[in-house]
Amino acid sequence: MACVIAREVRDGETVAVGTLAAIPACGVLLAHFTHAPRATVIIINHPDYWPFRGGSKEFYDFAQRGKLDLFFLSGGQIDRHGNLNLITVGDHERPDVRFPGGAGAAMLYYLPHRVVVFRADHSPRIFVERVDTVTSPGSTPPDVVRPGGPWKTVTPLCVFRYDRGSAALVVESLHPGVSREELGRRTGFAPTYDGAAGVTPEPTDAELELLRTRVKDTVARIYPRFAMTAFAR
Amino acid sequence: MPVRGHVGSDYERLRPEFRVIQNPWAPSERVMLVPSISPDVALIHAIAATEDGMLLLDHMEDDALLAQASRTVVASTERVVSSQELRRSGEGVILEGIHVTALVEAPGGALPTLVRGAYALDADRIREYIAAATDDATFKRYLDRHIYG
Repeated sequence: MACVIAREVRDGETVAVGTLAAIPACGVLLAHFTHAPRATVIIINHPDYWPFRGGSKEFYDFAQRGKLDLFFLSGGQIDRHGNLNLITVGDHERPDVRFPGGAGAAMLYYLPHRVVVFRADHSPRIFVERVDTVTSPGSTPPDVVRPGGPWKTVTPLCVFRYDRGSAALVVESLHPGVSREELGRRTGFAPTYDGAAGVTPEPTDAELELLRTRVKDTVARIYPRFAMTAFAR
Repeated sequence: MPVRGHVGSDYERLRPEFRVIQNPWAPSERVMLVPSISPDVALIHAIAATEDGMLLLDHMEDDALLAQASRTVVASTERVVSSQELRRSGEGVILEGIHVTALVEAPGGALPTLVRGAYALDADRIREYIAAATDDATFKRYLDRHIYG
């Protein structure tokens, strides 16, 4: 997933990674250490990648002015139309599950030019036909200020592309070893496929080596447990 | 205050106090207004402070904003220093004493979380706190052992 995310980072862009986002942090750093050395990298809570002195307000104001090219979000539920749910599953007043809340996720799905949605597990409970509560809609009416929006969704099984025309997720590639049958079984909606849908390229040896050394050491500053457990060979 | 984004999400339905208006400068656009949050009291912990309440705060946290939003601000501090020493500190941001109602010198006051440059976050202690906080009796033991002890 980190290698797939790294390929979405373009050199010279301003890229930000929010809280509880260890995998995007790895992907962005991998890109920054290889093909995107001139990217401006912002990682919340990381002392070496936090170019602000005014707390999170300064970051949110920066984002609201449309200065982020790429950002990452996740969801407790994610649906076919790219809607994200970070609040409640079931009846909102008597929820079956209560997530921490949307925080900035409603604004940060609109303003950064491209948003990559990530989720480290892929099941029908998460990838649903329709989310119960819409924290962050995939699409909005034309009279809403929205310079950016969903771009890709990356999971352990596949990469979806967000298709603006149909306002829906479309499978761009399946990861090596994943069949259409398996993806269908583990997704709560019937996946649609790009005509050219193929297999996600494998990570290269050089990418894996960099992930297990410099990237791991850098994310360990803010994700010590993740760094200890996620890089097993 | 106006917030970009949010319009078209379920926040419109779930939070009636959030209003959607036409942007007065671009009438074809809708934007959301949200009410400000004004806490009665903010409790914040400073890296250092002067006797008249000027604070040195972590530049990665939101304490300065929280203090300015709140009606009453009670600050604790690792140590009390002179204003010359406070202004010489390279790390952190300075909040003027006009925002501070009361100041307490409390070394270790942020434990089990961290004060940058003084001490690190104590993950084992946080786990102990979470376990203890489920029950009044165990929480009292936690306080006796780590706070009053």
